[in-house]
Amino acid sequence: MYKTQKSYINRDKKMIDLINENYSLLLCLQHFHIDFSVGNMTVKQMCEDYHMNLNVFIVIANLYNGFFPSSHDIDQIDDIHSIISYLKSNHSFFLDDKYPELKYYLEKIKKNQNNKDFFLIEQFFYDYYEEVLEHFQYEDDIAFPYFCSLLDDQPSSQQNVFSAREYQNHHTDIETKLTDLKNLLLKHIRIESDLNTKRKFLNTLFGLEFDLKIHSVIEEKILVPLIEKIEQQKNG
Amino acid sequence: MDKCRKNIVVLEPSKIVYEGLFASISQTESEYAFFHIHALSELKELTYIKDVSVVLINPVLVQNKESEFIRIKKQYDYIHWVGIIYCFFDHATLKLFDATFQITDDTTVIIRKINKICNNKSLESLHDERLSKRETVVLKWLSKGLSNKEIADKLNISIYTINTHRRNIMEKTGIRSMAGLTVYAVSKGIISLD
Repeated sequence: MYKTQKSYINRDKKMIDLINENYSLLLCLQHFHIDFSVGNMTVKQMCEDYHMNLNVFIVIANLYNGFFPSSHDIDQIDDIHSIISYLKSNHSFFLDDKYPELKYYLEKIKKNQNNKDFFLIEQFFYDYYEEVLEHFQYEDDIAFPYFCSLLDDQPSSQQNVFSAREYQNHHTDIETKLTDLKNLLLKHIRIESDLNTKRKFLNTLFGLEFDLKIHSVIEEKILVPLIEKIEQQKNG
Repeated sequence: MDKCRKNIVVLEPSKIVYEGLFASISQTESEYAFFHIHALSELKELTYIKDVSVVLINPVLVQNKESEFIRIKKQYDYIHWVGIIYCFFDHATLKLFDATFQITDDTTVIIRKINKICNNKSLESLHDERLSKRETVVLKWLSKGLSNKEIADKLNISIYTINTHRRNIMEKTGIRSMAGLTVYAVSKGIISLD
């Protein structure tokens, strides 16, 4: 028998055991700027060492293990800045890491390519990239500054521009198109290229899908409700 | 997330019963990933991050909450509901589920029931994967940028029917965005780029 389900992360679990069980947590650590050399530390000790908010870490790390936070867990979160910092790190992961990787594989596949379908996929990918870029820009320029101004109790010129609904629509589009790209390649369009490069391209897409899914859950189900609560408190 | 595996949610207050089901089914079947929840309300949160195929549910949890349960069943019409039976329940309660098994049943019987429910669905979708003539025509016009209303007028059918075709096209191809469907349509020769 083997285990099909990952552990629920709590403050007393050893970080090394959690990483051995699910190495995707390395990416979670990276987004929080925590080094992978975790020694024998528990989750609590590691968070103290890195001045990381324990509740935020536990809630987000549990998403990597497939556990959705309860409304009680979300209510316990008292550090929204660290969530925003996580999300910003997520942006640079996509822009500086995943995008160049995908582009590199696409260029490699493109060599000696005369299949017209490949060019459709290529165009679809670049259009998709533009859309993601636009969304990140919206977050960096409008959503995050607005959240920060609320948290720091400072007036913001962006107050009327942010819309939770628009935010959600962006996510849905981004996730749908990424799944479409995967399905086009896996179900409908056969591109001639070596298997190794194609597998690496798909692997990267799967990794990105996983990360973007967590990104959207954090924003829609954790961050936006917390922000709305603050808005309500401010408006009396 | 892992699309090849089916996700089974066990809605059962007893940890022992959950662990028992999880251990005995996982021993012989590798196609299922398990999740344990304690209340119907937790299902909503789980479906945000996982595609749930089957819910194994203790009928006690829906007793006296039948209308809420029926509403939830409608909301998640793609989920199969299987009752875990370990005491007497009246017929009306049992009728709410797609299938049931007794906790005293042999593991192979329980697994067979779950497999049957899951495979039924995948066989259905295998048979249906090719687009019908009508769906192909609708996809052609959609890819050319026509609205539902314009297509309905052109084909002389209702917008409601167009929506059904649209939903079927997405189900069968696994592609949901308009841009993705256009790529599909060009690659299959349904429309040309010229």
